[in-house]
Amino acid sequence: MDIQLKRGLLDVCVLAAIKDEDSYGYKIIKDMKPYLELSESTLYTILKRLESGNMLSVYSIEHDGRLRKYYHITPSGLQRIEDFKEDWKEMLSIYRFVTKEDQHE
Amino acid sequence: MNKQEFLDQLRLELSGLPKEDLEERLNFYAEIIDDRIEDGLSEEEAVNEIGPSEEIASQIIAETPLSIIVKERVKPKRRLKAWEIVLLILGAPLWIPLLIAAFAVLFSLYIVLWSLVISLWAVDVAFIAASVAGIAGGCIMLIKGESLSALMGFGIGLIMAGLSIFLFFGCKAATKGTVVLTKKMGLGIKTLFLAKETEK
Repeated sequence: MDIQLKRGLLDVCVLAAIKDEDSYGYKIIKDMKPYLELSESTLYTILKRLESGNMLSVYSIEHDGRLRKYYHITPSGLQRIEDFKEDWKEMLSIYRFVTKEDQHE
Repeated sequence: MNKQEFLDQLRLELSGLPKEDLEERLNFYAEIIDDRIEDGLSEEEAVNEIGPSEEIASQIIAETPLSIIVKERVKPKRRLKAWEIVLLILGAPLWIPLLIAAFAVLFSLYIVLWSLVISLWAVDVAFIAASVAGIAGGCIMLIKGESLSALMGFGIGLIMAGLSIFLFFGCKAATKGTVVLTKKMGLGIKTLFLAKETEK
């Protein structure tokens, strides 16, 4: 898959994983596992990118005598998901146009 | 390998990264290992699932821009003494040209590599041109009625076409190889800076 496209997809996937409730590293990986395998290093890079893009905010909570980082989606993060949905509607109609040729054969 | 060994190993391999960045990354891995253990895995299994530290380190280094690594490397660990600053300034006419020369040599090596690839492509283009010329010449001879010369023209044209097809695959492989080599060179330069750091 095109790298730029994949990068965009992963960003939105991680945002979706923290959309309904704040989540932490391991839980994000676990939640996404049925859909796609994500390595810790990749997740770290994505989280950093999203944080510097103001798509999410980070806070720490003490858990079991250690600190755990939680990720919270920001309004621009939510907007990013909405934009993604809009983009894909467009993509889908293009996809239908492209595959229409196949059906006629 | 237990958690502490894994983290120590990773710290060693990534010692060229800026301190804050390094700590943040290590905390990130430590947290995930702890969460895995909490989820019922043994410490060993939790570490294994993350993968070998060398692999993680080289991926991280490949992702980190060279400028950050160099900056971290060049940043003095202590304040420079007065005489060192004087020496640095006095020596500038010497070490600046040397530095430029070093980069120039690296850069020229790179150019040479790509020139080779470009010349290969040029030869291939020449073959294609020769094959077109051969066939065109054959046609002209045929119209003129010189069938023997026409046959030779066609023959040369076909041979050139065949060679150009062969060389095309060679060119493609060479281009691909050079791209891979370029990436490896980038990684090599980065690890050079990191290796020096760990020696200290």
